[in-house]
Amino acid sequence: MFDQPDDAVERMARHLRQPVRIDPALDERVMRAIATLPTPVRSTAGVAWSWLTRPRRLTLTPLGMVAAAAALAAVVLLYRRGPGPPVLPRTDTRPFQFVLVAPRATRVSLVGDFNDWDATRTPMRRVRATSSLWSTLIPLAPGRYRYSFLVDGAHWRADPAAPAARDDEFGTPSSVVTVGGS
Amino acid sequence: MRGSPWSGAACLLAATLVTGTMAAQQIDPRLDRLDAVTRSIVGALVDSAVAAALPTEPLIQRALEGATKRATGEVIVAAVRRLAQDLAHARDALGGTASPGELTAGAAALRAGASPAFLTELRRTRREPLIVPLAVLTDLVASGVPVDSAAHAVVALASRTRDADLIEFRRAVERDIALGAPPAAATAAAAGLTAQSVDVNAGARQQRPGRP
Repeated sequence: MFDQPDDAVERMARHLRQPVRIDPALDERVMRAIATLPTPVRSTAGVAWSWLTRPRRLTLTPLGMVAAAAALAAVVLLYRRGPGPPVLPRTDTRPFQFVLVAPRATRVSLVGDFNDWDATRTPMRRVRATSSLWSTLIPLAPGRYRYSFLVDGAHWRADPAAPAARDDEFGTPSSVVTVGGS
Repeated sequence: MRGSPWSGAACLLAATLVTGTMAAQQIDPRLDRLDAVTRSIVGALVDSAVAAALPTEPLIQRALEGATKRATGEVIVAAVRRLAQDLAHARDALGGTASPGELTAGAAALRAGASPAFLTELRRTRREPLIVPLAVLTDLVASGVPVDSAAHAVVALASRTRDADLIEFRRAVERDIALGAPPAAATAAAAGLTAQSVDVNAGARQQRPGRP
Protein backbone atom coordinates (compact mmCIF):
# COMPACT_ATOMS: atom_id res chain seq x y z
CA MET A 1 0.00 0.00 0.00
CA PHE A 2 2.89 2.41 0.60
CA ASP A 3 5.55 3.12 -1.97
CA GLN A 4 9.08 2.60 -1.10
CA PRO A 5 10.52 5.87 0.39
CA ASP A 6 13.02 6.26 -2.44
CA ASP A 7 10.24 6.17 -5.00
CA ALA A 8 8.27 8.91 -3.20
CA VAL A 9 11.26 11.20 -3.03
CA GLU A 10 12.03 10.59 -6.66
CA ARG A 11 8.48 11.45 -7.69
CA MET A 12 8.49 14.65 -5.64
CA ALA A 13 11.79 15.70 -7.16
CA ARG A 14 10.51 15.12 -10.67
CA HIS A 15 7.47 17.25 -9.88
CA LEU A 16 9.51 20.08 -8.53
CA ARG A 17 11.89 20.01 -11.50
CA GLN A 18 9.09 20.79 -13.92
CA PRO A 19 9.18 24.48 -15.10
CA VAL A 20 6.65 26.80 -13.54
CA ARG A 21 4.00 27.95 -15.95
CA ILE A 22 3.11 31.62 -15.55
CA ASP A 23 0.24 33.30 -17.26
CA PRO A 24 1.77 35.37 -20.11
CA ALA A 25 -0.65 38.26 -19.31
CA LEU A 26 0.54 38.56 -15.70
CA ASP A 27 3.12 41.27 -16.40
CA GLU A 28 0.60 43.38 -18.24
CA ARG A 29 -1.94 43.06 -15.43
CA VAL A 30 0.62 44.06 -12.80
CA MET A 31 1.72 47.13 -14.76
CA ARG A 32 -1.87 48.20 -15.29
CA ALA A 33 -2.51 47.92 -11.57
CA ILE A 34 0.54 50.03 -10.80
CA ALA A 35 -0.48 52.67 -13.31
CA THR A 36 -3.79 53.08 -11.58
CA LEU A 37 -2.17 53.85 -8.20
CA PRO A 38 -2.18 57.58 -7.19
CA THR A 39 1.08 59.42 -7.87
CA PRO A 40 2.72 60.56 -4.56
CA VAL A 41 2.99 64.36 -4.27
CA ARG A 42 6.55 65.46 -3.37
CA SER A 43 7.05 68.66 -1.44
CA THR A 44 9.60 71.29 -2.43
CA ALA A 45 11.65 70.36 0.60
CA GLY A 46 11.55 66.75 -0.43
CA VAL A 47 12.69 67.59 -3.93
CA ALA A 48 15.44 69.78 -2.51
CA TRP A 49 16.54 67.09 -0.08
CA SER A 50 16.57 64.56 -2.88
CA TRP A 51 18.68 66.93 -5.01
CA LEU A 52 21.07 67.56 -2.15
CA THR A 53 21.50 63.92 -1.24
CA ARG A 54 21.82 62.66 -4.79
CA PRO A 55 25.28 61.11 -5.16
CA ARG A 56 27.57 63.11 -7.40
CA ARG A 57 31.02 62.77 -8.68
CA LEU A 58 33.22 65.81 -8.06
CA THR A 59 36.44 66.67 -9.75
CA LEU A 60 38.58 69.15 -7.83
CA THR A 61 40.54 71.41 -10.15
CA PRO A 62 43.25 73.87 -9.10
CA LEU A 63 40.93 76.77 -9.89
CA GLY A 64 38.22 75.18 -7.79
CA MET A 65 40.61 74.80 -4.86
CA VAL A 66 41.60 78.45 -5.06
CA ALA A 67 37.94 79.46 -5.17
CA ALA A 68 37.18 77.26 -2.15
CA ALA A 69 40.11 78.75 -0.25
CA ALA A 70 38.95 82.26 -1.10
CA ALA A 71 35.44 81.43 0.09
CA LEU A 72 36.80 79.98 3.34
CA ALA A 73 38.99 83.04 3.84
CA ALA A 74 35.97 85.29 3.31
CA VAL A 75 33.99 83.35 5.90
CA VAL A 76 36.86 83.61 8.40
CA LEU A 77 37.22 87.31 7.60
CA LEU A 78 33.56 88.05 8.24
CA TYR A 79 33.48 85.91 11.36
CA ARG A 80 36.56 87.46 12.91
CA ARG A 81 35.70 91.04 12.01
CA GLY A 82 32.41 90.91 13.87
CA PRO A 83 29.97 93.77 14.13
CA GLY A 84 32.59 96.43 14.92
CA PRO A 85 34.26 97.95 17.94
CA PRO A 86 32.86 96.85 21.24
CA VAL A 87 30.31 99.15 22.76
CA LEU A 88 30.20 99.89 26.45
CA PRO A 89 27.48 97.80 28.03
CA ARG A 90 24.46 99.86 28.92
CA THR A 91 23.79 97.82 31.99
CA ASP A 92 25.67 98.69 35.14
CA THR A 93 26.66 102.10 33.82
CA ARG A 94 26.07 105.49 35.35
CA PRO A 95 26.14 108.90 33.72
CA PHE A 96 29.23 111.00 34.16
CA GLN A 97 29.39 114.68 33.40
CA PHE A 98 32.54 116.27 32.01
CA VAL A 99 32.93 120.03 31.89
CA LEU A 100 35.62 122.37 30.63
CA VAL A 101 35.92 126.13 30.66
CA ALA A 102 37.21 127.18 27.24
CA PRO A 103 36.08 130.72 26.37
CA ARG A 104 37.84 131.02 23.02
CA ALA A 105 37.19 127.51 21.77
CA THR A 106 35.03 126.93 18.73
CA ARG A 107 34.73 123.20 19.31
CA VAL A 108 35.71 120.81 22.09
CA SER A 109 35.73 117.00 22.09
CA LEU A 110 35.98 114.52 24.93
CA VAL A 111 38.43 111.79 23.93
CA GLY A 112 39.44 108.78 25.98
CA ASP A 113 39.51 105.07 26.69
CA PHE A 114 35.71 105.00 26.56
CA ASN A 115 35.46 106.09 22.92
CA ASP A 116 38.59 104.59 21.34
CA TRP A 117 40.28 108.00 21.48
CA ASP A 118 38.15 109.04 18.54
CA ALA A 119 37.80 112.81 18.48
CA THR A 120 34.61 112.66 16.43
CA ARG A 121 32.73 110.39 18.82
CA THR A 122 31.92 112.67 21.77
CA PRO A 123 31.65 116.34 20.87
CA MET A 124 30.96 118.68 23.80
CA ARG A 125 28.35 121.43 23.75
CA ARG A 126 28.26 124.88 25.25
CA VAL A 127 26.02 124.99 28.28
CA ARG A 128 24.47 128.15 26.82
CA ALA A 129 25.02 129.78 23.45
CA THR A 130 27.23 132.50 24.90
CA SER A 131 28.74 130.43 27.68
CA SER A 132 32.41 129.54 27.94
CA LEU A 133 31.47 126.33 29.72
CA TRP A 134 31.49 123.15 27.62
CA SER A 135 29.80 120.01 28.86
CA THR A 136 28.89 116.47 27.93
CA LEU A 137 27.30 113.53 29.70
CA ILE A 138 28.27 109.94 28.94
CA PRO A 139 27.49 106.56 30.54
CA LEU A 140 30.45 104.76 32.08
CA ALA A 141 30.73 101.26 33.45
CA PRO A 142 32.86 100.64 36.55
CA GLY A 143 36.52 101.01 35.70
CA ARG A 144 39.36 103.45 35.35
CA TYR A 145 39.57 105.54 32.19
CA ARG A 146 42.15 107.91 30.78
CA TYR A 147 40.81 110.87 28.86
CA SER A 148 41.58 114.33 27.63
CA PHE A 149 39.87 117.29 26.01
CA LEU A 150 40.71 118.20 22.43
CA VAL A 151 40.13 121.89 21.82
CA ASP A 152 39.66 123.12 18.26
CA GLY A 153 41.05 119.84 16.96
CA ALA A 154 44.61 120.72 17.91
CA HIS A 155 45.10 121.52 21.60
CA TRP A 156 45.04 118.82 24.26
CA ARG A 157 43.83 119.86 27.69
CA ALA A 158 43.70 117.82 30.88
CA ASP A 159 40.65 118.06 33.07
CA PRO A 160 41.50 120.53 35.84
CA ALA A 161 38.83 118.94 38.02
CA ALA A 162 40.21 115.41 37.81
CA PRO A 163 43.35 113.56 38.85
CA ALA A 164 46.14 113.69 36.32
CA ALA A 165 47.35 110.58 34.56
CA ARG A 166 50.89 110.01 35.67
CA ASP A 167 51.91 107.54 33.00
CA ASP A 168 51.58 109.90 30.06
CA GLU A 169 54.13 108.78 27.51
CA PHE A 170 52.76 110.79 24.65
CA GLY A 171 53.74 114.23 25.79
CA THR A 172 50.27 115.68 26.19
CA PRO A 173 48.28 115.85 29.41
CA SER A 174 45.61 113.32 30.26
CA SER A 175 43.29 112.84 33.20
CA VAL A 176 41.73 109.80 34.78
CA VAL A 177 38.21 109.08 35.92
CA THR A 178 37.39 106.15 38.17
CA VAL A 179 33.92 104.69 38.26
CA GLY A 180 33.07 102.60 41.28
CA GLY A 181 30.47 99.94 41.64
CA SER A 182 29.48 100.37 45.27
CA MET B 1 40.81 64.24 -7.19
CA ARG B 2 42.34 64.66 -10.57
CA GLY B 3 46.09 64.49 -10.44
CA SER B 4 47.81 67.49 -11.95
CA PRO B 5 51.05 69.38 -11.51
CA TRP B 6 48.93 72.38 -10.55
CA SER B 7 47.37 70.60 -7.61
CA GLY B 8 50.34 70.95 -5.28
CA ALA B 9 50.78 74.60 -6.08
CA ALA B 10 47.08 75.22 -5.62
CA CYS B 11 47.11 73.49 -2.23
CA LEU B 12 50.03 75.66 -1.16
CA LEU B 13 48.31 78.81 -2.37
CA ALA B 14 45.07 77.88 -0.62
CA ALA B 15 46.85 77.17 2.65
CA THR B 16 48.76 80.44 2.39
CA LEU B 17 45.56 82.37 1.70
CA VAL B 18 43.70 80.90 4.64
CA THR B 19 46.61 81.13 7.07
CA GLY B 20 47.46 84.67 6.05
CA THR B 21 43.90 85.80 6.35
CA MET B 22 43.48 84.26 9.79
CA ALA B 23 46.74 85.76 11.02
CA ALA B 24 45.80 89.18 9.70
CA GLN B 25 42.43 89.00 11.39
CA GLN B 26 43.96 88.61 14.81
CA ILE B 27 44.85 92.28 14.69
CA ASP B 28 42.01 94.42 15.97
CA PRO B 29 40.56 96.50 13.12
CA ARG B 30 40.62 99.60 15.33
CA LEU B 31 44.39 99.49 15.06
CA ASP B 32 44.11 100.40 11.39
CA ARG B 33 44.78 103.96 12.57
CA LEU B 34 48.41 102.95 13.19
CA ASP B 35 50.99 102.74 10.45
CA ALA B 36 51.65 99.26 9.12
CA VAL B 37 54.82 98.55 11.08
CA THR B 38 53.49 99.85 14.39
CA ARG B 39 50.22 98.03 13.82
CA SER B 40 52.05 94.77 13.26
CA ILE B 41 54.15 95.11 16.43
CA VAL B 42 51.21 96.21 18.56
CA GLY B 43 49.21 93.33 17.11
CA ALA B 44 51.95 90.93 18.19
CA LEU B 45 51.95 92.44 21.70
CA VAL B 46 48.18 92.03 21.85
CA ASP B 47 48.53 88.41 20.73
CA SER B 48 51.07 87.83 23.48
CA ALA B 49 48.65 89.32 25.99
CA VAL B 50 45.94 86.97 24.79
CA ALA B 51 48.27 84.02 25.19
CA ALA B 52 49.11 85.16 28.72
CA ALA B 53 45.41 85.63 29.58
CA LEU B 54 45.90 89.36 30.08
CA PRO B 55 43.30 91.94 29.08
CA THR B 56 43.92 93.36 25.63
CA GLU B 57 41.57 96.33 25.66
CA PRO B 58 43.92 98.55 27.75
CA LEU B 59 46.71 97.83 25.28
CA ILE B 60 44.54 98.73 22.32
CA GLN B 61 43.33 101.91 24.00
CA ARG B 62 46.90 102.95 24.81
CA ALA B 63 47.89 102.45 21.18
CA LEU B 64 44.86 104.40 20.00
CA GLU B 65 45.69 107.20 22.43
CA GLY B 66 49.15 107.41 20.93
CA ALA B 67 47.78 107.40 17.41
CA THR B 68 45.28 110.16 18.18
CA LYS B 69 47.99 112.23 19.85
CA ARG B 70 50.21 111.70 16.80
CA ALA B 71 52.97 109.96 18.73
CA THR B 72 55.63 108.15 16.76
CA GLY B 73 55.43 104.42 16.27
CA GLU B 74 58.37 103.81 18.56
CA VAL B 75 56.76 105.73 21.40
CA ILE B 76 53.47 103.90 20.92
CA VAL B 77 55.13 100.49 20.91
CA ALA B 78 57.14 101.35 24.02
CA ALA B 79 54.03 102.52 25.84
CA VAL B 80 52.04 99.42 24.91
CA ARG B 81 54.90 97.10 25.81
CA ARG B 82 55.37 98.76 29.19
CA LEU B 83 51.67 98.55 29.94
CA ALA B 84 51.64 94.86 29.03
CA GLN B 85 54.47 94.25 31.48
CA ASP B 86 52.66 96.21 34.18
CA LEU B 87 49.48 94.21 33.58
CA ALA B 88 51.44 90.97 33.96
CA HIS B 89 52.99 92.16 37.22
CA ALA B 90 49.58 93.24 38.48
CA ARG B 91 48.16 89.83 37.66
CA ASP B 92 51.01 88.16 39.54
CA ALA B 93 50.24 90.27 42.60
CA LEU B 94 46.43 90.18 42.45
CA GLY B 95 46.01 86.57 41.36
CA GLY B 96 44.48 84.89 38.39
CA THR B 97 40.93 85.81 39.37
CA ALA B 98 41.50 89.55 39.02
CA SER B 99 39.16 91.26 36.59
CA PRO B 100 40.44 93.27 33.60
CA GLY B 101 39.47 96.47 35.41
CA GLU B 102 41.39 95.43 38.50
CA LEU B 103 44.44 94.55 36.44
CA THR B 104 44.31 97.91 34.67
CA ALA B 105 44.02 99.78 37.96
CA GLY B 106 46.69 97.54 39.49
CA ALA B 107 49.08 98.27 36.62
CA ALA B 108 48.60 102.01 37.18
CA ALA B 109 49.19 101.59 40.91
CA LEU B 110 52.40 99.67 40.33
CA ARG B 111 53.53 102.33 37.87
CA ALA B 112 52.79 104.95 40.53
CA GLY B 113 55.16 103.18 42.92
CA ALA B 114 52.96 100.80 44.89
CA SER B 115 54.57 97.51 45.77
CA PRO B 116 53.24 94.15 44.61
CA ALA B 117 52.87 93.26 48.29
CA PHE B 118 50.41 96.14 48.68
CA LEU B 119 48.29 94.76 45.86
CA THR B 120 48.34 91.30 47.41
CA GLU B 121 47.43 92.70 50.82
CA LEU B 122 44.57 94.68 49.31
CA ARG B 123 43.25 91.54 47.62
CA ARG B 124 43.36 89.71 50.92
CA THR B 125 41.69 92.56 52.80
CA ARG B 126 38.83 93.56 50.53
CA ARG B 127 36.16 91.25 49.18
CA GLU B 128 34.68 93.82 46.79
CA PRO B 129 36.32 94.76 43.47
CA LEU B 130 39.65 96.54 43.87
CA ILE B 131 39.37 99.01 41.01
CA VAL B 132 38.56 102.03 43.15
CA PRO B 133 41.00 101.40 46.02
CA LEU B 134 43.82 100.91 43.53
CA ALA B 135 42.79 104.00 41.59
CA VAL B 136 42.54 106.08 44.75
CA LEU B 137 46.05 105.09 45.72
CA THR B 138 47.35 106.02 42.27
CA ASP B 139 45.55 109.36 42.33
CA LEU B 140 46.80 110.19 45.82
CA VAL B 141 50.38 109.51 44.78
CA ALA B 142 49.81 111.71 41.73
CA SER B 143 48.68 114.45 44.14
CA GLY B 144 51.95 114.26 46.03
CA VAL B 145 51.07 111.85 48.81
CA PRO B 146 53.98 109.52 49.64
CA VAL B 147 53.18 106.06 48.36
CA ASP B 148 53.59 104.44 51.79
CA SER B 149 51.15 106.89 53.41
CA ALA B 150 48.64 106.39 50.62
CA ALA B 151 48.97 102.60 50.76
CA HIS B 152 48.57 102.53 54.53
CA ALA B 153 45.41 104.65 54.40
CA VAL B 154 43.85 102.71 51.52
CA VAL B 155 44.47 99.32 53.13
CA ALA B 156 43.04 100.59 56.41
CA LEU B 157 39.85 101.80 54.69
CA ALA B 158 39.47 99.10 52.06
CA SER B 159 37.97 96.36 54.20
CA ARG B 160 34.84 98.28 55.24
CA THR B 161 34.53 101.26 52.91
CA ARG B 162 32.44 101.46 49.76
CA ASP B 163 33.75 102.75 46.46
CA ALA B 164 31.88 106.03 46.81
CA ASP B 165 33.40 106.64 50.25
CA LEU B 166 36.87 105.96 48.94
CA ILE B 167 36.39 108.44 46.11
CA GLU B 168 35.12 110.99 48.59
CA PHE B 169 38.18 110.28 50.71
CA ARG B 170 40.43 111.02 47.74
CA ARG B 171 38.61 114.29 47.08
CA ALA B 172 39.00 115.33 50.71
CA VAL B 173 42.74 114.70 50.58
CA GLU B 174 43.11 116.64 47.32
CA ARG B 175 41.05 119.49 48.74
CA ASP B 176 43.18 119.71 51.88
CA ILE B 177 46.39 119.58 49.88
CA ALA B 178 45.10 122.38 47.67
CA LEU B 179 44.46 124.38 50.84
CA GLY B 180 48.05 123.92 51.92
CA ALA B 181 48.05 120.83 54.12
CA PRO B 182 51.05 118.51 53.92
CA PRO B 183 50.02 115.52 51.73
CA ALA B 184 50.80 112.82 54.31
CA ALA B 185 49.00 114.66 57.10
CA ALA B 186 46.03 115.40 54.85
CA THR B 187 45.81 111.71 53.99
CA ALA B 188 45.90 110.56 57.60
CA ALA B 189 43.29 113.11 58.66
CA ALA B 190 40.91 112.31 55.82
CA ALA B 191 41.31 108.59 56.39
CA GLY B 192 40.33 109.03 60.02
CA LEU B 193 37.26 111.06 59.12
CA THR B 194 36.22 108.63 56.40
CA ALA B 195 36.53 105.66 58.74
CA GLN B 196 34.21 107.39 61.20
CA SER B 197 31.56 108.38 58.69
CA VAL B 198 31.31 105.47 56.31
CA ASP B 199 27.81 104.58 57.44
CA VAL B 200 26.39 108.08 57.79
CA ASN B 201 25.61 109.19 54.23
CA ALA B 202 24.84 105.83 52.70
CA GLY B 203 21.43 106.79 51.34
CA ALA B 204 22.25 110.04 49.58
CA ARG B 205 24.45 108.89 46.74
CA GLN B 206 23.97 108.16 43.04
CA GLN B 207 21.28 110.84 42.73
CA ARG B 208 23.25 113.05 40.36
CA PRO B 209 25.63 112.36 37.48
CA GLY B 210 29.09 111.44 38.64
CA ARG B 211 32.01 113.78 38.28
CA PRO B 212 35.65 112.90 37.79
